Amino acid sequence: MDFITELASPIIIGLLLGGLYVVIALGLSLVFGVMKVINVSHGALVILGSYAAFFILTQLGIDPILGLVILIPIFFILGILIEKYLLNRAVKMSADAALIIAFGIALIIQNAIQIIWTPYSRSLLTEYSMNRIQIGEIYIPVVYILDFVAALVVMLVIRQFLLRTYLGQAITAASQDRKTAELMGINPTRVYQIAFGLSMALAVIAGVFFGITFPFDPTSGNALLIIAFGVIILGGLGSMVGTFIGGMIFGLSQTLGGHFFGPTGQLLVPFIMVLVVLTIRPQGLFGR
Amino acid sequence: MMRKSVPVIIIAILTIILAIFPIAGVPDTWILYLFHFFIFLALANMWNLLAGFSGLLALCPAAFIGLAGYTMTILTWLGVPFYFGIVAGGIVAGLFAMIISPSVFRMRGIYFAIGTLVVPAIWRLIFLRWRPVGGELQGGGAGYMVKGISDLPSGVFYWIGLLIAFLSVVVIGLILRSKFGYGLSAIRDNDVSAASSGINVFRLKLFSFIIAAFMMGLAGALWYANQKYIEPNNAFSINWLMIVLLATVMGGIGLEWGPLLGTIIVVILQFQLARYAGISLLIQGIILVIIMLVAPQGILGFIRDLRGGKGIRAWFRSPSSLSGASIENLDE
Repeated sequence: MDFITELASPIIIGLLLGGLYVVIALGLSLVFGVMKVINVSHGALVILGSYAAFFILTQLGIDPILGLVILIPIFFILGILIEKYLLNRAVKMSADAALIIAFGIALIIQNAIQIIWTPYSRSLLTEYSMNRIQIGEIYIPVVYILDFVAALVVMLVIRQFLLRTYLGQAITAASQDRKTAELMGINPTRVYQIAFGLSMALAVIAGVFFGITFPFDPTSGNALLIIAFGVIILGGLGSMVGTFIGGMIFGLSQTLGGHFFGPTGQLLVPFIMVLVVLTIRPQGLFGR
Repeated sequence: MMRKSVPVIIIAILTIILAIFPIAGVPDTWILYLFHFFIFLALANMWNLLAGFSGLLALCPAAFIGLAGYTMTILTWLGVPFYFGIVAGGIVAGLFAMIISPSVFRMRGIYFAIGTLVVPAIWRLIFLRWRPVGGELQGGGAGYMVKGISDLPSGVFYWIGLLIAFLSVVVIGLILRSKFGYGLSAIRDNDVSAASSGINVFRLKLFSFIIAAFMMGLAGALWYANQKYIEPNNAFSINWLMIVLLATVMGGIGLEWGPLLGTIIVVILQFQLARYAGISLLIQGIILVIIMLVAPQGILGFIRDLRGGKGIRAWFRSPSSLSGASIENLDE
């Protein structure tokens, strides 16, 4: 019984943390599903979102979550511009060319952040940052619960968007079979732009929730990128339910790994799981 | 594509001139620049072998570099001379490539890239965890000094670096002119038809993976011998990937002399902009993006095509000229 109560805390925290990872990974998963591009700049874009929220929090005093109302449209348009002027040409060449361009974009963003906001670690401090909820003997920080709620909301909205709207259906069609979609009168260039814009909007949401949960610095994006890869590899690239389950598995294995193997075991356990899954089932646990 | 014979004489003369530099009293800063150049050149050449010629977009050079660096460092603690340590580092990196190859080669295209990207991250965590037993080997987070190199003459690392860079050029030259190299280009262009023409795809990819890992290991071990210190965050850093990627792509991916040109640019940029650490990388990122958009085959490919009479306009018309770097058709 003692063993179970001891494990309850890492399990709950792990699942909630998994929610944060789902939000981080969704944008990457969307771009991969539609454009077949590994957007290695996604981690840097998420951190750019954190810094944008940091800016409006410190300069304008707007709560980061409320600030999303301003940030989401900005990032959406920024995403469309990046796709239109930088990625589009590369996507036509090859997947590798797009990957290399994305790598360049990540470098640019990461170092621009470093120049603007210095390399020091920052965090989004709000009045609820330190609050905790007590359930039995377990204390859960409020921000973790917010992360999980955000994951659920984002997933529901994206799902409804993909199922109910014309644009969403066009995106789904283009990701399933680009050539057929094109024959059905869907403009892939436009679909790609919207998809990348959406992925940027998801990145800023992820950035805000990452920022209220953990401190961040300009290079945090590298770790986030690898985590996001891990999540979608576990779940299967391009599958949304898979991404959700992948996030849960990743979060759980991280907190349980930390529980059993100490702080450095936290990421080691999920990473090794990722490699094992990649080896045994390269398309992911739930991939097509 | 026809391969011209290697300009053996030019390489030999250049190597000899470079070898005389430390004795001839060339300023120390030059020696430092050139040492960086040698290491980066060897790394970029080998990455070009993987990504440019074998169609393996391996994002794990840091794993080979870091492993070799650690092997060398630990061996010096056990009393082994550092030059044996460097060779041993290369061998360990090669062995590691061999061990992971069955699992990473099962992944194709994009999955291979992601899978290999995770590998250095895992090693970093393992070495952060690692606390060796037995009093002498100490260090929180497993950062180590390299032992037994304090009383070396100053030019030693420079010469070894020159040797490794020279070897990398020779190895690439030999591979590209052999049956092995032609097999590799066949795989890169289309691995299914290569396999049906009797090429053993797995074995060829394995060979180039191991060769590249070995050479990258040599260069990495030498780098950390020169640094005299190694720690996990630096050894398995994503910066290694950035350096090889920049050097290869800027010069020309899939072109024999691309990494050479790219490495020169990277080293110049790094040192000229060293005062403004952040801006240096920012500029390199911008150059990377512009080059991929304007001249996907790098500066060398751009020059070649200008001379080939296609003219600058042809470049803006045809976006399909990245023959050197496509791993596989993802539409299938």
